[in-house]
Amino acid sequence: MDICHRGFIDGAWTREINVADFIRRNYTPYTGDASFLRGTTKRTDSVRARVEELLIAENEKGGVLDVDTERVSSLLAYEPGYIKKGEDIILGLQTDQPLKRAVNPFAGYRNAEQACKAYGYEMSQRIHDEFRYRTTHNTGVFRVYTETMRKARHAGVLTGLPDAYARGRIIGDYRRIALYGMQHLIAERKQDKRRIGERDMNEETIMLLEDIEKQLEFMAQLVTMAAEYGCDISRPAENAREAVQWLYFGYLGAIKEQNGAANSIGRISTFLDIYLERDLAEGTLDEISAQELIDDLVLKMRLVRHLRTPEYNNLFAGDPVWVTCSIAGMTEDGRPMVTKTCYRFLQTLYNLGPSAEPNITVLWSQGLPEPFKRFCAKVSIDTDSIQYENDDVMRPDYGDDYAIACCVSAMKTGKQMQFFGARCNLAKVLLMALNGGRDELYGEQIAPAGETFPAGEPLEYEAVLEAFKTYASWMAKLYVNTMNVIHYMHDRYAYERLMMSLHDVEPERLMAFGISGFSVLADSLSAIKYAKVTPIKDDRGLITDFITEGEFPKYGNDDDRVDEIARWIAEFFYAELCKTKPYRGAKHTLSILTITSNVVYGSKTGATPDGRKKGEPFAPGANPMHGRDMEGALASLNSVAKIDYGCCRDGISNTMSLTPDALGTDEQDRIDKLVAVLDGYFAQHAHHLNVNVLNRQKLIDAMNNPALYPSLTIRVSGYAVNFNKLTRDKQLEVISRTFHEKM
Amino acid sequence: MAAVVHSFESLAAVDGAGVRCAVFLCGCPLRCVYCHNPDTWQPTAGRETDAPTLVAKIARYKPYFGVKGGVTFSGGEPLLQAGFIAETVPLLQREGIGYIIDTSGHVPLDDTVKYVLAHAQAVLLDLKFPDDEMYRTYTGAGIGPTLAMLDYLAEIGRDTCVRTVIVPGINDSEAMLDRYLAHLTGRACVSRYELLAFHTMGFHKYEQLGMANPLADVPPLDAARKVQLQAYADRQLRLA
Repeated sequence: MDICHRGFIDGAWTREINVADFIRRNYTPYTGDASFLRGTTKRTDSVRARVEELLIAENEKGGVLDVDTERVSSLLAYEPGYIKKGEDIILGLQTDQPLKRAVNPFAGYRNAEQACKAYGYEMSQRIHDEFRYRTTHNTGVFRVYTETMRKARHAGVLTGLPDAYARGRIIGDYRRIALYGMQHLIAERKQDKRRIGERDMNEETIMLLEDIEKQLEFMAQLVTMAAEYGCDISRPAENAREAVQWLYFGYLGAIKEQNGAANSIGRISTFLDIYLERDLAEGTLDEISAQELIDDLVLKMRLVRHLRTPEYNNLFAGDPVWVTCSIAGMTEDGRPMVTKTCYRFLQTLYNLGPSAEPNITVLWSQGLPEPFKRFCAKVSIDTDSIQYENDDVMRPDYGDDYAIACCVSAMKTGKQMQFFGARCNLAKVLLMALNGGRDELYGEQIAPAGETFPAGEPLEYEAVLEAFKTYASWMAKLYVNTMNVIHYMHDRYAYERLMMSLHDVEPERLMAFGISGFSVLADSLSAIKYAKVTPIKDDRGLITDFITEGEFPKYGNDDDRVDEIARWIAEFFYAELCKTKPYRGAKHTLSILTITSNVVYGSKTGATPDGRKKGEPFAPGANPMHGRDMEGALASLNSVAKIDYGCCRDGISNTMSLTPDALGTDEQDRIDKLVAVLDGYFAQHAHHLNVNVLNRQKLIDAMNNPALYPSLTIRVSGYAVNFNKLTRDKQLEVISRTFHEKM
Repeated sequence: MAAVVHSFESLAAVDGAGVRCAVFLCGCPLRCVYCHNPDTWQPTAGRETDAPTLVAKIARYKPYFGVKGGVTFSGGEPLLQAGFIAETVPLLQREGIGYIIDTSGHVPLDDTVKYVLAHAQAVLLDLKFPDDEMYRTYTGAGIGPTLAMLDYLAEIGRDTCVRTVIVPGINDSEAMLDRYLAHLTGRACVSRYELLAFHTMGFHKYEQLGMANPLADVPPLDAARKVQLQAYADRQLRLA
């Protein structure tokens, strides 16, 4: 056995590229508590102090510390960069300086140019010339967009589409670099190319062969990039430090190449633990240095930056990059995959302070060891920085080596990729249905003309439902087709060469659609069904407001009358999407997730029958509307738990804020109860939960005195943000959300 | 038999051990000056529910309860509707759900009340004031029924947490606590003595109801002072 793999148990992974098999055979489960964990070293403190300085400087400069406008971002565009040269353990930065942002115009030139301008920079002539004759993803998409697609996009019915920025949500299997070394991976990919070259040369084969050649080019570049930092990643990692470093180089190369919204790092803790355990056993590492390695990796993850436009920040507030890091979960044969390194990742929130990134995601299962559940709950209560996703509902579909991209998107690591598809504003589709296909704000005819519902007469539920189905069905087809255009062009002009080289050569593709305005639509339909809703028209003959009289059941109170409507919305829309074939053999998936764009989507939507006024924010994700969940936190959770993951395999996001007093009388009591709440929610096949344990007053205080709360982190919708990085309107929206308080 | 339910709270985490739902029943014989739920005083100010419907609703939260959790009947004074609670007892037992009674003790100690108390997981008993005079001044009724219930709970050995709201200027001294504690010594059923801080979060309800708020000028109890008093009470109870 070679030195790199010494001590590892052989299996399928030695004969083929199969990281999952390697993990299952070699990891050491840990069922103990957190008492083994250690704090920081002096070196970590020193590097962290430098990072803090940089973060303050970045904040003082309006959110962007520096931009390199001379070079286009790529693997070899910059000289090596360091936080503190000589003190960094894990090496590598996106550019030559920490927090200096790179320009990446491949997805859209104008976007990149505007992003520079927004922060007082000017794109250099050199880059301008370079892109003058070059087609970007954005140019390609708009060449093909139909008039209807443009109209739907303009009205904000199809919204947040990745047509001017990179799609992201793809997770390279960066672990392969550590386990196999690049030389082996390159040889395998060349072998793939020879094999596929034997096929009939149709469009599919030709496209794939070109993709592979692009991958090989970037695989070679990655080896060179690592060599510039003095590391030889052509061979496998020999020890834990190298395993962390090799893996991180893969991720770093990927984010130098791509600036997609969410570039997540995958499920790495239990994989890395195997290397850490081996070094600990060999006596070359102790717990303090093991923690130091993870701390240093996490510090790097906290420095990931992309250059964004203000419009983009409006959708995804707080400068997130979603270095989502999935921990724990169970194996398919029922063993907890919790290792000491899962704990070590959580420990970084104490050692380095609370933080939005990496987006630590606990894959929760009823079978996880009790001490681990309790430690997670403690971390939630102390830091509000982690999220939970139900391994017991994901594992049957995705096996035991999937990871979460972005907020709630599961995919089998290295075996599935995703075509990210933002979301369709279904609350707006309802208004469109009532207005015979016209947009309720602009008055423009977007969908085929139909009958407008009369003013002054109460809406009749069955008639509204029929009209909604007709328009939602039409919209579903337009949505799939729009996505097909976007992803064809992204593959063509902004293909993820490095990330896809770290996938199987022919991965399964998921096309991820989304719903926004979910609870507003459910409550609106409920109002029409159970109360009396009378439309009001303006002088253009458009229904722009409603008189809603009487009581109606509201989503978020565990009331089946309306929760059944909510459940139906997801099932119906998913079934409609499935009627149109996605590009490149992809499978449809659906999410109910809005990030922070629930504010923007609300601002683009007229008044709705549930009593929401024109322009008011939606609730985030699958959350019940603020203030309408009247029977407390568990009733609200029960409502969300009813939505079927089977039709929402891209995730159902729910964010819960509790005050500490509502949760329990002291720390142990709060931990007990939070564990019980999580177990109870997930036992009902719910998918996702963000947990915040804090007081509304604290947020109001932080809004008014940001300097006193430099690292106040809160979970919003599938990710965490530093509260200070939110704009005031988003801060106010977060403050207005339901806080479950003590009665 | 139907009950009048004022409201339902699915996560009432602090009214007893474990994750609990709380059912707030309408009507109260007392008129405590510090009451933060005056909207529960009227026996009809709520929605009528029958026992099977209520138990079905509570049962939806079973996944969260674990061994310690369950439902807490609160109010108002829940034992004013003891007959209704008694009806839920076998239904709750069938579902494997335990319940706690949160009471002032101000009800006749009849067989129904005894049955309900005897089958509870635990009882939260308010000891509002330490003597009959103060009791009458601040609640409108005497101390007798509360002490009688405490005696009964001691007799059947039902786990009891005694609770007192501490109001600045009225009962926020160690000397006052000593007088309360005197009632607890020798009663082995008392597993805990919990002080609750007077707060102003219910003030708006007085305004909404158009009622005079007798303590409108009293500030909430300082959190640090509460911790201090609780520590004192814990110490004294252990000594006794």
